[in-house]
Amino acid sequence: MIELRNVYKYFDDTVAVDDVSLSVPKGKFCALVGTSGCGKSTTLRMINRLLAHSEGEILLDEQAISDYDPVLLRRRIGYVIQNTGLFPHWNVARNIGLVPRLLKWPASQVRQRVEELMQLLGLPVGEFANKYPHQLSGGQAQRVGVARALAADPDILLMDEPFGALDPITREKLQEMLMQLQARLHKTIVFVTHDMDEALRLADHLVVMRAGKVIQQGTPLSLLQKPADAFVDSLLGGLERGLKQASLTRVKDHMAPLGPTLPAQSRIPARYTLRQALSMMLRDHSERLTVVDQHDMPVGELSLRKLVKEAHSSEQGSSRES
Amino acid sequence: MPLKDALPTQGRFSQWRPNWVILTLGLAMLAAVWGLPTVSVAANRIVSGTGYPVWQALSWGGGALASLIILAMMVLASHPERTRLSYVAQFAAMVLLLLLMPFGLMAASHWLVDASQPQARLGIGPAYWVVMFLALLGLIELRLRLSLARGWMALLLIGIGAVWLGCAALWLDSLALVQEFQVREAQFYQAIRQHLALVTIAVSVSIVLGMGIALLMRRFYRLQRGGFALLNFFQTVPSLALFGLLLAPLAWLSANVPFAAQLGIKGIGWTPALIALIIYSLLPIVRNTYVALEAVSPDVLDAATGMGMRTSQRFWQVRVPLALPILLEGVRITMVQAIGLTAVAALIGAGGLGAFIFQGLGQAAMDMVLLGALPILVMALAADAGIGALAAQLRRGAAYD
Ligand SMILES: Nc1ncnc2c1ncn2[C@@H]1O[C@H](COP(=O)(O)OP(=O)(O)O)[C@@H](O)[C@H]1O
Ligand SMILES: [Mg+2]
Repeated sequence: MIELRNVYKYFDDTVAVDDVSLSVPKGKFCALVGTSGCGKSTTLRMINRLLAHSEGEILLDEQAISDYDPVLLRRRIGYVIQNTGLFPHWNVARNIGLVPRLLKWPASQVRQRVEELMQLLGLPVGEFANKYPHQLSGGQAQRVGVARALAADPDILLMDEPFGALDPITREKLQEMLMQLQARLHKTIVFVTHDMDEALRLADHLVVMRAGKVIQQGTPLSLLQKPADAFVDSLLGGLERGLKQASLTRVKDHMAPLGPTLPAQSRIPARYTLRQALSMMLRDHSERLTVVDQHDMPVGELSLRKLVKEAHSSEQGSSRES
Repeated sequence: MPLKDALPTQGRFSQWRPNWVILTLGLAMLAAVWGLPTVSVAANRIVSGTGYPVWQALSWGGGALASLIILAMMVLASHPERTRLSYVAQFAAMVLLLLLMPFGLMAASHWLVDASQPQARLGIGPAYWVVMFLALLGLIELRLRLSLARGWMALLLIGIGAVWLGCAALWLDSLALVQEFQVREAQFYQAIRQHLALVTIAVSVSIVLGMGIALLMRRFYRLQRGGFALLNFFQTVPSLALFGLLLAPLAWLSANVPFAAQLGIKGIGWTPALIALIIYSLLPIVRNTYVALEAVSPDVLDAATGMGMRTSQRFWQVRVPLALPILLEGVRITMVQAIGLTAVAALIGAGGLGAFIFQGLGQAAMDMVLLGALPILVMALAADAGIGALAAQLRRGAAYD
């Protein structure tokens, strides 16, 4: 559990972080999003005390971070940065084993852990253990960076635009990998990015920042349904927002039971997203789809009219809440 | 065959790209062989010798053989097809030339030096020096083409050097250089030891001192500008002037502080030499240490801190190893510079190989100058290559991405 309460950071007279409060419950994935220079990295680097905060409180498991020894604190927190920061003079295995060695694990245990992590991140030990960072592709290097951060099995992972320097295809692969890892490991993650799609895809909790301030925070769906202002709306893609929302919703959550009428020709698996369903409707010129389970057996029905209505009512509902 | 196919076409013509470096070197070598005196012969040490052209020194056959080797290399270099084999052959030609040269001297000695006159001596003429220099340049060019490892090149040069030394020791008693050496053999080895000692002490002291200064400059920002300005200033003072400047205070110290005198500190001799050498050596060491430590990628340092390394761990395990190649570069520059400067130190009585150079200059005995200068050259080249190879080795593992 990470908690920031009214945190400020001043550099000389500029305010880099301005009254930021947020909390990341254990095992949750929080993304800080905003244009460059808005104070995301500064916020992140205050959590592992690479920077000291000027005002406010930062708590880790209900304890102020100033109570911890900064070095020991950092060994308990995984840290991943954009340009990997791998040590160029150490091979992959040695890079990954850094924190366990700092923690004075026995050598055999370090080796075992390194091999375990390399397997976990899809880096065959025989092929990569003895390579140097300059011999790796960008994607491979960042896998090593993530492995290094996970080496001592920290509860918390801080990631500063970890995939920002990768090409779109590699980026997507690593996002996929991170999602799978998170599904297994349930780390508490703070993830900085300027890519809203990445944030929407990965995060449980979104924090939108501008000029050091938090403009809006909440679940990805709640932001998509009701952006606080035009800035958040434009970050979320303006007109595209509806489709992004649809891509976060599963067909199975919106299907109706099979009616008495004949099922539609087009079939869509229940685990697909509404966005894919809409696309199929457009492609097949069909207002109705038959929803099938993994054995291709019809289990329900999806209709365009109902979808549009529900989207409308859920927007009404959320606006009444706030 | 139609006529137009037999003629060289425009395309083929523009493809004719000979290796101009080798061709130029070859032409220059031919000019030197035939245009410059090959050897000189003098009746004794004092009189100046008479120069002999190649056809008298090595006979027409010798001149022709040398020219043939050079011409063969040029023909290969101008061939449009640049195969590895062709480069190997050119390389071999240069090596052969360098290996045959001492035997040419033996022939010249046999023909031109009167054996009944023990004072008579053979001098190596300008043609020899020029051809040797150009052949070495050729080897460097061809080494790059063949991407030959430094180690092999070094071994080869050592081998060639050994052949020369062997010939000189066994059969070239009449060579002036050899005679100069034989007269002062003990002195020569003594001078080499002194020279090496001065260089080693000066460089090691300035490594320790220089790195300390660089670290202080990093810690205390305000020291930086003043420090570098001072060191830069010292670099521009001519070495002899610096020795002179040190003379008075050290002489005073020696006269007034008995302990200093006991230590052997004097206005002349090794003390001022060592001090001046250290002052000169500081700038490259301080500069490179400073730059090397600052050049380490901020991302790497950020990660090191972020992963929980302590300041000292980060310094010794990350900053220093990554700085080492640039740091060694500083040591290399310093070492080569100190080897040269120590020659000047002979002027204030510090000994070393410079003593031969200045005595030789005083007596107008060029071969004695050579006796001092050649080992200095070899030492400088060896230090340069050795430390350079070490830095390259370190860099290989740590190539920056
Ligand atoms: N060490 C520093 N000294 C002075 N200003 C800084 C420093 N680090 C960041 N800033 C300023 O703080 C603001 C926020 O920076 P940062 O957190 O790096 O933004 P982001 O990561 O969102 O791109 C920027 O205006 C930046 O110029
Ligand atoms: Mg940033």
